[in-house]
Amino acid sequence: MGRGDAEFVEFARAASARLVHAAFLMTGDHHQAEDAAQTALVRTYASWSRIRDDDAYGYARRILVNHLVDGWRRPIREYPTEEVPEQRRGDVADEVATRRWLTAILGALSPRERAIIVLRYYFDLPEAQVARELAISVGTVKSTSSRALEKLRSTGPRTADNQEACR
Amino acid sequence: MSELDRLRHAMRVTERPGGAIDLAAVMRDGRRLRTRRRVAGAGVATLAAGLAGVVVAVVVGALPNDPGTVERPPPVAVAPAPPTDGPATPPDPSATMPPTTAARTEPPPSPLGEVIDSGVRHGADQRVYYLVRVSVPGEPRVSIGLAAGRRAPNGTLTTDILVNDVEGSDRSPGFHQIGYDEGGSAAPVPAFGYFVGPAHRITGTVDGRQVAARLARWSADKQVVIFWFDPADLAPGDRLDGITARDGSNRRL
Repeated sequence: MGRGDAEFVEFARAASARLVHAAFLMTGDHHQAEDAAQTALVRTYASWSRIRDDDAYGYARRILVNHLVDGWRRPIREYPTEEVPEQRRGDVADEVATRRWLTAILGALSPRERAIIVLRYYFDLPEAQVARELAISVGTVKSTSSRALEKLRSTGPRTADNQEACR
Repeated sequence: MSELDRLRHAMRVTERPGGAIDLAAVMRDGRRLRTRRRVAGAGVATLAAGLAGVVVAVVVGALPNDPGTVERPPPVAVAPAPPTDGPATPPDPSATMPPTTAARTEPPPSPLGEVIDSGVRHGADQRVYYLVRVSVPGEPRVSIGLAAGRRAPNGTLTTDILVNDVEGSDRSPGFHQIGYDEGGSAAPVPAFGYFVGPAHRITGTVDGRQVAARLARWSADKQVVIFWFDPADLAPGDRLDGITARDGSNRRL
C-alpha cells in the first residue's frame, strides 16, 4: 500500500462515522446513509492525490451532500431491514430516548431543512458556506433555518413530553 | 438547555462508531473511477500535445434510421489505437497507474465556437457545454469532442466530462455519444450528447418514461445539435433506455 493509500485509509477511518451519521441525520435511513457515505469516500479516494493536502474532509462532505441532494429528486428506495434502531442498544435508555427524540424532530422537517440543520448545527458551518454547498442563497439558508428551528421548538417539547410519558 | 443546544447535543451523542463502510470496496471503486477520469483527461491532453493514446467514447446508435435503443454496457470504453469494432475492454482497475496529477497540470480548455449555457447552476458556477478539438490516432475524421464543464463567475472553465468518437466521422448524421455522470465530478453532470442533423426535438426514454432534452445548435456548425437533460427530469447518472430525434415536421430522423 502506497503512502497515499495509507493516508486515505487513515482519513476514511477517522471520517466515515461522521459522514455516515450526517447522512443518517439528513435521510433518517441507515442503509441510505451508509450508501451515501461510501459513495462520498469512493469519489474522495478517486481524487485523493489532488485533495489530500487540502480539505479532504470538506471535499468528502460536499460530495456527500451533493449526492443526497441529487437523491431527493429520485424515487425513494426502501430497504428491508431487521434492525430497529431504537431497540439496538436497549440498555442505554438515555441514548434511545435521545435518538427517538432526534428522529421525531428531524422527521418533521423537509429534506432541505434537514440538510441545512445538519450542515449548520452538526458540521457547524457558517451560513455562507451552507449556501455554497447547497447551491442556494444565504437568504434561503437564513429563512429555511429559521423556519426549521421554529418547527423544532413547536415539535420538541411535545415530543419530549411523550418520551417522558413512555418511560 | 435550549432546544438548539439539545439538538446539537443529540446529533453528536447519537453518532455511532464507524465500521459500516467497506474500505476495500471504497478503494476498488475509487481506483476504477480514477481510471475513467484519467482516460477522460487523456482526451483533453490530446488537445495540446497531440499525443497518441486512449480516448473515451460513449457510443449510441449512430445512424439516423437506427431505432435509437441505447445499450447499457459500461459507458466508458477504453481502446488502444486503432480502435476495434466491438466494445473495448474496460481498464483493469488493479493496473498500475501513474500518479494522478492531471487536474493540476491540464491546460484550460479551448472551446471551439460558443460556449453553451445550460441554465443549470452549481452555486455561482454555470453548467456549460462546449466542443473542443481532439486527436484520435488513425481517425482523421474525428476532430471534435463534446465537453461538459462549469464556468465560474470569472469566466474560468473547468471540464468535468469529455466524450468523443473513436472511429468514423464526428459529423456523420445521427447520434454520436452521450455523456453520463460517473460520479467523478465535484458537481453532478446532467446527461448530454450531440446529434448531427436537423433535429428540432430530442426525447429520451428511461424506465418507460419519456424525457425531453434541451437543445442548442453549435455556433460553428448548425448541423451539430447539442442536447442535455434537465437534472429535474433525468437525475445525473441515470441512463437512458432509448433516444430519438425528430425534425420540425415531427418526423423521426
